[in-house]
Amino acid sequence: MSHRLLMWLAAAAAVLGLTMATLEPLAAQARWDPKTPKLPMARTWVAYKAKLPPYTPPRTPDGVPDLQGTWGGPGGAGGDDIEEHEYVDVTTPPQETFVSDPPDGLIPYTAYGLAQRNAHRAGLSRGWPGESPDRLYADPNTYCMVSIGPRGGIGEIIQQPGVVIMVTARTHRVIPTDGRSHLSDRAKFWRGIPRGRWDGNTLVVDVRGLNGKHWFDSVGNFHTENTRMIERLTLVDANTIDYALTVEDPTVYSRPWTMNYPVRRAGTGGTDNATGKYNWRAAPVVDNDPYAREVWENNCTEGISVNVRNMHSLGFKWFRGVTPPRQ
Amino acid sequence: MRTHAVLLAAALAASVGVLTGAAQAPAYSPPRTPDGHPDLQGIWQVLNTAAWDLEDHGATLGVPAGRGVVEGGTIPYQPAALARKQENARNRATLDPERRCGLPGVPRITYMPYPFRIVQQRDKISFLYEYLGVVRFAYMNGNPHPRGPIEWFMGDSRASWDGNTLVVDVVHFTDQTWLDRAGNFHSEALHVVERYTRTGPDHMLYQATIEDPKVFTRPWTISMPLYRRQERDAELLEYECLSYLLEDTWDRPEAFPFK
Repeated sequence: MSHRLLMWLAAAAAVLGLTMATLEPLAAQARWDPKTPKLPMARTWVAYKAKLPPYTPPRTPDGVPDLQGTWGGPGGAGGDDIEEHEYVDVTTPPQETFVSDPPDGLIPYTAYGLAQRNAHRAGLSRGWPGESPDRLYADPNTYCMVSIGPRGGIGEIIQQPGVVIMVTARTHRVIPTDGRSHLSDRAKFWRGIPRGRWDGNTLVVDVRGLNGKHWFDSVGNFHTENTRMIERLTLVDANTIDYALTVEDPTVYSRPWTMNYPVRRAGTGGTDNATGKYNWRAAPVVDNDPYAREVWENNCTEGISVNVRNMHSLGFKWFRGVTPPRQ
Repeated sequence: MRTHAVLLAAALAASVGVLTGAAQAPAYSPPRTPDGHPDLQGIWQVLNTAAWDLEDHGATLGVPAGRGVVEGGTIPYQPAALARKQENARNRATLDPERRCGLPGVPRITYMPYPFRIVQQRDKISFLYEYLGVVRFAYMNGNPHPRGPIEWFMGDSRASWDGNTLVVDVVHFTDQTWLDRAGNFHSEALHVVERYTRTGPDHMLYQATIEDPKVFTRPWTISMPLYRRQERDAELLEYECLSYLLEDTWDRPEAFPFK
């Protein structure tokens, strides 16, 4: 077990870089120093990209922007809490909000939605002030559930005519760009059903059919099975994808809202957690280990029975999603 | 070890001979990828009952009858291993690792009733399975299997071309997976050699030779066709087994499998 763990950690660190590793439960055990500077996210990124010169991405043989290669995640502390926050504890360092719109960086919940989010948070039993006495739900990520956005990562992008494929060690997403229709609303999935199209230099992915059972982060920010998401991936330089995720759901939000952050090509740096600044390299670091570019088994569910047993015996409920009242 | 390698080679040669002899199929010349290799890409699925039992079996409740996929008909168990297989079969409702939604291992995942997609690149073949969203990379970058001991549920896969056949050599397994729902099993010493051969525009022959000196008396081979999914909008959807299991049993203590 420990050997396998070491192998996996080595592979993850070598291939995906530290930014990707923050998505994974193993690395999420990192302990954050109270002196950690506020880690950059949407605000820093929006200001940074406004100064970038125009960029024309390379094209694949069939003429669409070429996003291929291996990519990291959002950096920083990933999806610990997607809203702006100061240092909470060793698991949650200070970090800017992921939300670029609305400009205040808060998720524009309706009163009902906010009450639900706050109930989730109060029932986490993490020893934080203001908690309710009863355990409610554990973060669904505790059980290795798959998601998109801040906690999903991109991994390797492979493009073929009519399809964009994203592959991580844990799972894959195959996004058709051939104009096919969505499934009916009856069919629900953890990551919904994606339908892609190219808009100039941008891959636009329309995601519907979400089951509403995942959280955006570990502190209860949620969507529902009525939610539609639009992802936009745009190369803004050779090693950076500008990733924007717009979330629409009038049953729990008062308006559509957007998360926005950079995703870096593996091995080209990311957020320096010591300084809270981007520390980007122009070219990927070359590792001479012949296995460094391989991605090895990440069996998230293998050790999960311990988590499941613990959370179940502690009395946490299974999160079946939020069902907003009919309007 | 060397004996087993020789036996394995013999078994492979025999299986190829048997199949080409039996099928009498004219050699099919598959389309090629830009780098000149046979193009195996697309969405494939079996159409058989191997997931329930690799050997000949009658029907029981929820289990369709089927002809076995084992060449020669019978899995060559060592005596003690055969007893364990029979014990597994009797207790499959609780012992089968599939019941706990773990990664199912190789070759089992190939003949489960879910589609998978093959993606070819210059330095690797990726197998993307609908079941649990499993990803398996078969590298063909010149690296040999990494040095063990390593125990991975899906093993370590290294690919090469033998004429028009993709050969995938898989080692570094756990003893935590089974081969089907009938209790057929293996140890961590399992060594699988898979062969993928296009036999037509929408068909591919899948063969897997299974070697495990702790469990079987000799290497043995399964073979079956893979079918290209014909639906115009065929795509991989989702089977996040563990999440459905947890949701279904979380509030039913008698059924909850993680006590």
